[in-house]
Amino acid sequence: MGRSPAFLISFIALALGATPVLQGAETVWSGLVIAENVAQPQPIPPELTRIEGSLKKFFGYNQFQVIGQSQKTLKTGQEDWLATSKFFGLHVDARGETEAGYVLNLKLYKEKELLLETDTKLSKRSPLVIKGPQVGGGQLLLVLVVQ
Amino acid sequence: MKTFEEKWTSWVDGQLSGRELSKFEASLPDKAAAEAEKAGARKLGELLKRELSAGTLTNEEFFSHQLREEIARLREAPGRQAREARSTWWTIPRLLWTGALSLAVFLVFTVLVMREKNPAEESQYLTQILNARVDPVVSPNATVSIFEVKQDRVTVLWTEGLQSLPADYAAK
Repeated sequence: MGRSPAFLISFIALALGATPVLQGAETVWSGLVIAENVAQPQPIPPELTRIEGSLKKFFGYNQFQVIGQSQKTLKTGQEDWLATSKFFGLHVDARGETEAGYVLNLKLYKEKELLLETDTKLSKRSPLVIKGPQVGGGQLLLVLVVQ
Repeated sequence: MKTFEEKWTSWVDGQLSGRELSKFEASLPDKAAAEAEKAGARKLGELLKRELSAGTLTNEEFFSHQLREEIARLREAPGRQAREARSTWWTIPRLLWTGALSLAVFLVFTVLVMREKNPAEESQYLTQILNARVDPVVSPNATVSIFEVKQDRVTVLWTEGLQSLPADYAAK
C-alpha cells in the first residue's frame, strides 16, 4: 500500500478537477422602478429592455422609470450593496453563489422603515421583479437582473 | 459310500492310503495316464497357490501405497490451505483499491453526465423565491404571491395590501 495514498489522492483530484468551476465576477443590476400609465411614455431603460414585454403585460403600465439603481460586480458571492432613491432603499445581501445563480437576501426600506424582506435564489438567466407599494398613480417595482 | 469322482479327488490330493489306495489304483483302467494327470493337477495346484499368494502381496502393496499417499496428503493439507488462502485474489488492499477505483469512475461519469445535462436544464432555471415577509405592523393585510413568466423566464413576487404612498415618493 506504499503508493496507494498517492494514487487515491490523484483519483480524487482528477474527479474534483472535472467538476464544473463556479463562474465568478458577474454583475447584478438592481433597480427601483416606478411603473406608470402616461399619455406619452418615455423609452424603457436599457436594463429593462429584455423584460419589457413581461413588465407591460403583467403590470399593465406603459412607462417604467428607474428612480434608483446599483450595479454590483460579484467576486465572492458574499457582497452586499444598496440601491436607493430619495425615499426608498433596497438592501441586497448576497449569501453565496451556486452554479445556477446567487442566494440573496433583499430588504426594501421606506426611509428607515422595513416594508418587505425576502430570500431568493437569483438565477443568472432569470430576472426577478418584486411588486412594491402603490406610489401615487403608479407602482414601485424592484428589479434584479444578472447581466 | 464315496463315488469315483470323490475317490479320484482324494487320490490326486494324496489323501487315500492303505487298502483304499490299493483298491482304487487297481480300479484304474490306465494307471500311467492317471499318474500323469495327477502330476499335472498337482503342478496346477502349486501354480495357483503361488500366483494367489503373489496377488495377496500386490494387494498389500497397493493398500500401503494408498495409505502413504493419504498420510502425505494429510501432512501437506495445512500448507496447501495456507497457500490457497494466500492466493485468493480479493485481498483487503485489492478490495480497497477496487472500491476507490469504482468510486472515482462513478464520480467522473457523474460529472460528465451532469455537464452534458446542464445546458439543457439551465434554460429552465428560474429565479426562486425562498421566502417573503411583510412587516405586519406597517401593512397588516398584506399578502405575497409568486408568479413565474416562463416565456421571458421572469419570476415575480407579487405583494397586495402594502400601504399606499403619495406620489412624492416616486422622486429620484
